[in-house]
Amino acid sequence: MKTRACVFTFLAMGLLSAYPADAQQKKEITVWSWFVASTMEKSIKAFEAKHPDLKVNYTYYNYSPQYLTALKAAAASNSLPDIIGLQPGSFTQQYREQLTSLNSYAAKEWGDNWTSQVFPVALKQLTMGNPSNDSNYYLLPQECQVLCIWYNKPIFQKLGLSVPKTYAELVQVAKKLTSSGYIPLYQGAADGWQNENVFLMIANQLAPGLAEKAQAGQAPWTSPELVSALEAWSALFKDHVFQEGALGARAYPTGAQLFAQGRIGMMALGSWWMQESKFPPPLSQFVQNMNGFDFFYFPALKEGGQISPAVGGVDIGYGLTKNGEKNPEAWKFLASLVKGEALQQALNDLNDLPSFTGFEPQGDITPNIKEMYSRFIADLPHAENQRIAHPEIGQELDNVLAGVASGTVTPADGLKRVQDVTDKTLK
Amino acid sequence: MKKRLPAYLYVLPAVLLFVLFVAYPILWVICESLYGAGASHPGGFVGLNHYWQAFQDPVFWRVLLNMFLWGAITIPVQMVLGGTIAYLIERHTHRSKTFFRVMFFLPVITSVSVVSIVWSQMYAPYYGIIQEYAKLIGLQLSVSPLGEPSLAIYGLILVNIWQWTGFSMLMYVAGLNNIPGELWDAARIDGARGLQLATRVIVPLVSPVTRSLLLLGVIGTLQTFPIVHLMTDGGPDHASEIFGTYIFKQGFVIGDTGYASALSTLVLLIALGLSIMQIVFLGARLTPAGTARR
Repeated sequence: MKTRACVFTFLAMGLLSAYPADAQQKKEITVWSWFVASTMEKSIKAFEAKHPDLKVNYTYYNYSPQYLTALKAAAASNSLPDIIGLQPGSFTQQYREQLTSLNSYAAKEWGDNWTSQVFPVALKQLTMGNPSNDSNYYLLPQECQVLCIWYNKPIFQKLGLSVPKTYAELVQVAKKLTSSGYIPLYQGAADGWQNENVFLMIANQLAPGLAEKAQAGQAPWTSPELVSALEAWSALFKDHVFQEGALGARAYPTGAQLFAQGRIGMMALGSWWMQESKFPPPLSQFVQNMNGFDFFYFPALKEGGQISPAVGGVDIGYGLTKNGEKNPEAWKFLASLVKGEALQQALNDLNDLPSFTGFEPQGDITPNIKEMYSRFIADLPHAENQRIAHPEIGQELDNVLAGVASGTVTPADGLKRVQDVTDKTLK
Repeated sequence: MKKRLPAYLYVLPAVLLFVLFVAYPILWVICESLYGAGASHPGGFVGLNHYWQAFQDPVFWRVLLNMFLWGAITIPVQMVLGGTIAYLIERHTHRSKTFFRVMFFLPVITSVSVVSIVWSQMYAPYYGIIQEYAKLIGLQLSVSPLGEPSLAIYGLILVNIWQWTGFSMLMYVAGLNNIPGELWDAARIDGARGLQLATRVIVPLVSPVTRSLLLLGVIGTLQTFPIVHLMTDGGPDHASEIFGTYIFKQGFVIGDTGYASALSTLVLLIALGLSIMQIVFLGARLTPAGTARR
């Protein structure tokens, strides 16, 4: 009996010692987001290496519907995690009451002048949708993006095509691609976000910043320049620049897969497309080190006109919930995600561009990627805003873009609809 | 009362579960529908405003029309196809019976995400599977039904029928196997064949299954969400909008929980009304065996 008791005691002690003592004492930080799980794991690993007394529990959700519903349910039951992934504007505004102002945290961490280190377009987006007397930052940006049109270089070379500088050239390039059996400019027009992106590229070419003023009620959506932009959007379908049946197509996963496989000539995406080269093998010859791709901005609609300016902004940011405010360690991880070792890991995976100046991807980055990355970073400081502050306006714009594309709504009537919703929302 | 106490105790767990997971959420949603909510909406009691808003909302009427089309097409088509397949399998196959049952049931257990992606690609002109076959007879598709406002809802209905016909088949398989063997023999001796056998013998005997499918079909129609969310998200411009996607957008994308709750309450009332109508007019005999449980 004595022997048994001894064995049991030793076993129990052994088990207790096998369970790491630090695991018992580690303070936990909970994070929810739709951010790529494999990259987040690297970020967490880097953070935990620097803070061995802390443990980050990350829960990944698909953006829609899982993440949106999980957040809503958790907000209603006051069980939000410490940190949540956010996008500026409407998304953040929905949870403003559950979020903590980050102004003092950021100032304490990085000094009073910290905002000067954030790219202007990102900084402007942080307070989008806030009440006029509220200058609090409820999210901090981790990564930014610049929208563009990517093209497949080997296909262009094979067909003797060059990057289109004007709309007429774009139509010709699309024709050549189509007649050669390729999908010209793939548009996942069943996705509202991709339609918004292309429309904002066009709108900002015709009148930089006007769409932003319109959504803020400082200019009418029915302005002639925006009507022209919507007409140009419609022409992309009529002139077969987009593939046939684009309105029933999705950008992800279908479009991205076809683009990576070399069946598409061009696709309107953004700087995040570079991360394809960091996905686990097997990768196509085009995606490998991004050897098969390069990008351009939307060509000039009018002969002799300017190409579209860079349009973009915050890709993903993070907010500290009221629950997270009670966890003194939570801010440390948030700070690392936006301006620290966790961000660096995300950049090394080419997830997207930094929101704070002074960062660049490190590690196994080819000169080709470095060159494209530099071009994006050079354009980011003067990028036009791509975010819509109010979801009602964004939803109606999406509906109108689809309606105009299908020919059931005229551009003027469509923008009148967006104006009505804007008036109602801002009232 | 003392004698009845054990009986009450037996039903207590079921009642508690019902109150917690059914009654309370319904009441919560009804209460929520009477309040404005969300960052961009004024809070406070708004009474029946959200309901008036729904009746004045053209999208609401579009949704109702789409839901009517969905139910009116999917329910009978799935029943006829499912019943026919079940009859052919049960009466005209022997060794391969299980194989066919499994094959036709496979779409039901396939992930909706997979079904949506595969069908979206099938519909796609240029690179879709349907286009590949169309090429063989010299046809070039120029549109995807999902991108055509006048066709989008029918494109989705077809996918739904493809996925759920196997369920109707399985129900009818159970119903057919519950028909006593002597009834088949009697019908054969009486000379019942073909259409006569179908309309005079089989259809009446499997009518409890048909009623079950009708009830489930109506409820399933009102609950439809993933196929539409994944394939068109209710677009283009609300052309394929259904209650599920519209409520999701209002509640989770726009954040107007008050209006989303009012729409949910209306769906509940419609489901309740249709279910009561069915029970009143068609009875409550819903078991495949056709044994009365009133």
